[in-house]
Amino acid sequence: MIGLAMKGRPYNTYERENMKIIGEKINGTRKRVAQAIAERDAEFIKDLAQKQAAAGATWLDVNAGTHPDKEPDDLVWLIENIQSVVETPISIDSANPKALQIAIKVVKQTPMINSISGEPERLTNVLPIVAEHGCPVIALAMDDKKIPETAEKRFEVIQKIVAEAHVHGVPDSNLYFDPLAMTLSTNTNSAMIAFETMRRVRQEYPEAHLTIGLSNISFGLPGRSFVNRYFLSLAMQAGLDSAILDPLDREIQAAIMATELVLGRDKHCLNYIRASRKGLFDKPE
Amino acid sequence: MSQELIDAITDMREEDAVAITKKLLDGGASPVAVLDACREAMGIIGMRFETGESFMPELILAGEILAQISAVVKPRMQQGGEDKKLGKIVLGTVQGDIHDIAKDIVGFMLDINGFEVTDLGVDVAPEKFVETVKSTGAKIVGLSGFLTLAFDPMKHTVEALKAAGLTDVKVMIGGGQIDENIRQYTGADAYGKDAMAAVAIAKSWA
Repeated sequence: MIGLAMKGRPYNTYERENMKIIGEKINGTRKRVAQAIAERDAEFIKDLAQKQAAAGATWLDVNAGTHPDKEPDDLVWLIENIQSVVETPISIDSANPKALQIAIKVVKQTPMINSISGEPERLTNVLPIVAEHGCPVIALAMDDKKIPETAEKRFEVIQKIVAEAHVHGVPDSNLYFDPLAMTLSTNTNSAMIAFETMRRVRQEYPEAHLTIGLSNISFGLPGRSFVNRYFLSLAMQAGLDSAILDPLDREIQAAIMATELVLGRDKHCLNYIRASRKGLFDKPE
Repeated sequence: MSQELIDAITDMREEDAVAITKKLLDGGASPVAVLDACREAMGIIGMRFETGESFMPELILAGEILAQISAVVKPRMQQGGEDKKLGKIVLGTVQGDIHDIAKDIVGFMLDINGFEVTDLGVDVAPEKFVETVKSTGAKIVGLSGFLTLAFDPMKHTVEALKAAGLTDVKVMIGGGQIDENIRQYTGADAYGKDAMAAVAIAKSWA
């Protein structure tokens, strides 16, 4: 990875109109991070946190990826180390309500919760926490662990989640719907299904947000970065306003800047030009 | 063995592969010879997938081509089947996990390597594994799970098989986070890093 810092320039935050980035790198399902967690290599984690924050992540996703018994301890260790170097809010990425309860006690800033779905048990367990702490929450457009195959069915799940969120007093503006980008490898329509779901959400719930776990779309394919990038651009036109991705990926950052410009969201092209001055579009050496 | 058929399959020429199969059978080729060519072709594709020359959509398409060829070949085979299997395997993603891609690849590779695979899909309860092992008489179970949350359901499934008295059934596990520690934790007999490993383990047990 050739970053700007390596060229003697600081790795700066690019100002973006409305696209928010959830930095994905602190994830225990990645080998190197798993090793750092196991060996309690705090410096490695702090470095990942600082780099992502400097590259403009709005939240830092934190997934311990460890066994449920160890997960709460590992999450707390990760969060405390991250918070010792950056103020960027955490996105607590866990399917384990116990770990969530413990992690939420140690965060300094209001965290994002990643994630809920249409599964009734998770809604009942997690929505009260979300409401109490005023957290933004990622909601997956799937039900009882089944992923609906059509946009229509995914939107029905989203309607259910919105209704339940309202019961608990969670406003639309704290809901980040993930329409789910399944790999194109197994269904070449999967991006189109995601776009259609996004458009429905934009239309029916203008205050709600959209997000996406980006890398899954290209799973099993060659040239993944191209697929990810163009998928992201088209998703932004369908209303996507945040994404879980690697903020250190210059090509993705450049794609976001260019897409915001093309979509008429960058007044006088200033953000784009400033990003250019900061070296975002320079050819890596 | 028909090189023409092998090439058609490995080049992903779907319609050609089916047409060549019909031509071969009409010309007097034996169904077994056609299936041998298929196995050869699938072995090549599997190898290319492992080395990164082939990609998942091709693997899936190859599976579809194979199914179409089987549909043509099967009616011409005699009852009792010359298509001898190495053994029966029950496969599934454990309860609480819905990841299917890796499991599908493992099932596919086991199938083309001569095992009779019963794929129970995803989010499969321990009782369902027990029930299916009993009804099929399978001696091998493959448990898949991508999430760390899959470890306990794996353990429960291994325990459920033992509790049901199926002590001669061997269990292999696989998935993103699986290693030797997890194998010990779950009580499984073996773990595999990829589909080829699953095939090697199953063959060693067959």
